[in-house]
Amino acid sequence: MQWMHKDLLDIDNLTAQEIEHILQTAVPMKEVLARPIKKLPTLRGKSIALMFYESSTRTRTSFETAAKILGADITNFSVAQSSVSKGESLLDTAKTLQAMNIDLVVIRHTSSGAPEFLAEWLTAGVINGGDGQHAHPTQALLDYFTIKDHLGGFKGKKILIIGDVLHSRVARSNALGLKKLGAEVTFIGPPTLLSPEMKYLGVKISYDLDKELPGADAVMALRLQLERQQSGLVPSIREYNRLYGLTRERIEKTGKPTIVMHPGPMNRGVEIASDLADSVQSVIEEQVTNGVAVRMALIYLMIGGGTANVVD
Amino acid sequence: MMEGTPKNRIMDEDGIRRAISRISHEIVEKSKGTENLVLVGVRTRGVPLAERIQERILEFENVRLPLGLLDITLYRDDLSMIDVQPVLHETRVPFSIEGKTLILIDDVLFTGRTVRAALNALIDLGRPHKIQLAVLIDRGHRELPIRADFVGKNVPTSSRETISVCLKETDENEEVLLWEKL
Amino acid sequence: MLWIKNVRMVDPSQGISAIGDLLVKDGRIAKTGERFSEEDVLAVLGVKKINQVDQVEGQGKYLFPGLIDVHVHLREPGQEDKEDIQSGTRAAVRGGFTSILAMANTKPVVDTRAMVEFVRHQAQRAGKARVYPVAAVTKGFLGQELVEMVDLKDGGAVAFSDDGKGIQSAETMRLSLEYAKLTGCPIISHCEDNNLAGQGVMRKGEASARLGLKGIPASAESVMVARDVLIAGETGGKVHIAHVSTKESVWILRAAKKLGIDVSAEVNPHHLLFTDEDVKLTNASYKVNPPLAGREDQEALLEGLLDGTIDMLATDHAPHTWEEKTRPFAETPFGINALETVLAAVWQELVLKGKMNIEKVVQLWSVNPACRFGLEGGTLRAGTPADLVLFDPAWREIITAESLESKAQNTPFLGKELQGFPIMTWVGGKIVMNRDHN
Ligand SMILES: [Zn+2]
Repeated sequence: MQWMHKDLLDIDNLTAQEIEHILQTAVPMKEVLARPIKKLPTLRGKSIALMFYESSTRTRTSFETAAKILGADITNFSVAQSSVSKGESLLDTAKTLQAMNIDLVVIRHTSSGAPEFLAEWLTAGVINGGDGQHAHPTQALLDYFTIKDHLGGFKGKKILIIGDVLHSRVARSNALGLKKLGAEVTFIGPPTLLSPEMKYLGVKISYDLDKELPGADAVMALRLQLERQQSGLVPSIREYNRLYGLTRERIEKTGKPTIVMHPGPMNRGVEIASDLADSVQSVIEEQVTNGVAVRMALIYLMIGGGTANVVD
Repeated sequence: MMEGTPKNRIMDEDGIRRAISRISHEIVEKSKGTENLVLVGVRTRGVPLAERIQERILEFENVRLPLGLLDITLYRDDLSMIDVQPVLHETRVPFSIEGKTLILIDDVLFTGRTVRAALNALIDLGRPHKIQLAVLIDRGHRELPIRADFVGKNVPTSSRETISVCLKETDENEEVLLWEKL
Repeated sequence: MLWIKNVRMVDPSQGISAIGDLLVKDGRIAKTGERFSEEDVLAVLGVKKINQVDQVEGQGKYLFPGLIDVHVHLREPGQEDKEDIQSGTRAAVRGGFTSILAMANTKPVVDTRAMVEFVRHQAQRAGKARVYPVAAVTKGFLGQELVEMVDLKDGGAVAFSDDGKGIQSAETMRLSLEYAKLTGCPIISHCEDNNLAGQGVMRKGEASARLGLKGIPASAESVMVARDVLIAGETGGKVHIAHVSTKESVWILRAAKKLGIDVSAEVNPHHLLFTDEDVKLTNASYKVNPPLAGREDQEALLEGLLDGTIDMLATDHAPHTWEEKTRPFAETPFGINALETVLAAVWQELVLKGKMNIEKVVQLWSVNPACRFGLEGGTLRAGTPADLVLFDPAWREIITAESLESKAQNTPFLGKELQGFPIMTWVGGKIVMNRDHN
């Protein structure tokens, strides 16, 4: 199968087949990660710009590691040290990148659509590293990889995504692809954090975690920003934890060797109990490793040659 | 697939079988036995060839040599020049190559660039005592100072010609053809 | 002296929609009627030779009383990089508008008599459309102290509005409706509850969920519409609701009118032409306030216009610079550039598709605004100022940045072809736009 996209902005413009192709390409990448010498010459001479307008050590480090292993050169534009903080517009930044002949740009931004905006202005490929409440496609892809690794596939698998769905680009991107891959997705959270319009995704909406747990193959807890209490979205962390906190006892209700996921960083004791996060059912650390492999795969597919057929 | 017209059949099924048999014997002979020997096939067609060599050695030495598969895509130096991106496969070398005599196996030796890539890939996996190269066909036109230790057949070609190796495991037929490029 | 011949005259103020001729003398409409002879014309206009009269052949075209737009942001003073009174009034007459109400949210805001007079003088200097200033309701748009409404009216203000933001304090709104009675001018209310609207950038719904953009619930508008009509009912004040966009607002207005409350309302054509499904992450031309709503809202707005619940169309022409609009969606300002494209869009999407007839369009965009805001115009009656628009239903044009008179280009029609444009516009009998001679 041939990679046909200039950019990766969201999951919705990928077919199930393309998603599988990325996941397959990530398998040999994960093998490389297990080697003593984690260094490839593949992208020697290629340059990748990391533009993080929103701080995220995890995602940035993951992309940086992936790019370094593949042998690419990396330019970091972090908000603190670049003209970004001096009020340079994204448009001017885009023009600068264009002039520098960068091959690939990874952008993370607080504004939904900033990656789309950049992609319109750049001939270089753009990977969305998370934008506003919109999309986080690489997080979704690493989650698919982890799910496939443990559950063998997606068809008919019951996946629960729990918590602050309203503000979660992770939930959104995940659901888009999981539906395409044939999984059954349920969003669970309090009504203030889970608006009914999310139904457009074709997911089930539920406010009752305990009712949904039986039969779940994977449960994914989302991070609850502690500010949500001050904004009046949840009355207290205590009540949130009581209704939606994942614990060992709760997870037993699935009646299955359910895997427990979290996009990180975790609020231990809020959305997930510490002992569950560290249990054998937890795949949270693997998610981090898989994140590097999936990002390597994606970078390879996007700029590792053979781009004659790119259509968009 | 290949564009052009097949000019010549260089090897048929029997020819391939005899060549593999001879290479297998030479490998064992040169190493004075099977101790410390490991086989690594280069994807795609180096893999069935390596499997066949493994089988032959098992037959006459009663030893099953460790066999690894190497995908060299990530080590190619021409990625940005080719139109169609190669699909990435797993490299599976499920044993340590440290201190081993490693026989690298491929179908055709041409410019030497594939072998160069394979050598880099192997070195990232560990530090073998020795690496030797076995190929079914050596067609000349080297661009790098690389030579094969074991050769099924030397086929002098012109630059207008190409070689295609067909094996049952990967193709329908079993033969080596010489083509005239269009 | 002007003789427009053989033209379809549309004047709902007199119930006229027929082919005929119209004569202009001394800046005023002299006579309308079926086909005049040269002798009639010479007699009515009091001239000896026919070559002293400008003649315009109107076959296949429409003649309207000049359109009146009650919601325009001209940006001068203070934001002349977006628009100024020169460029804005040129855009107005190119779009068929002979009179416009200029909103007060300039820098500084129009909250003193000197500012009102400045706007009027600039408009006179430009010599294109008539500009009627809308003055602020509260000093500095701070939502606290009322402006000197009587003095501002004497300076030329025709209405009061803090448009650009909603008056959050219900008590301030109550007091303004009371005090404005001294002027007879309506308060134009921009209905938006800041708490409900929050940091939203488009209508809350499936589309906003899909795009991951923060949503503004429909109630952010409708609760304030309800508040303001109730206060108007209680005080007997005169309120005009700007840019109605939700179905809930429409039914509140319908009920209010049934109760006899002195309320009028406008709809922006972009709310009839687009919905939230049209919003694109990379095209901030679709970012307007109030935000584009759903299909059901759109149907309710059209129904409200047709049954008289809503009184007029208004553009809410809100120019912004290319740089301001060329950013990630959430970081761009709200507003659409409308004056020059809106009539063509309405013609194409509403009239040609049978949703609204042209008589209704003229009623909503000329007759009713003149009546509600006490302005001259809105009619082809003899003796009134000759503010006229000759409209060619077949004229096609591709909208480009270069072709726009407005300084801004934040229109979703950029690069697209539209059909049905004004080809000549007269203000006070003087020709101010002629598409043939551009
Ligand atoms: Zn407004």
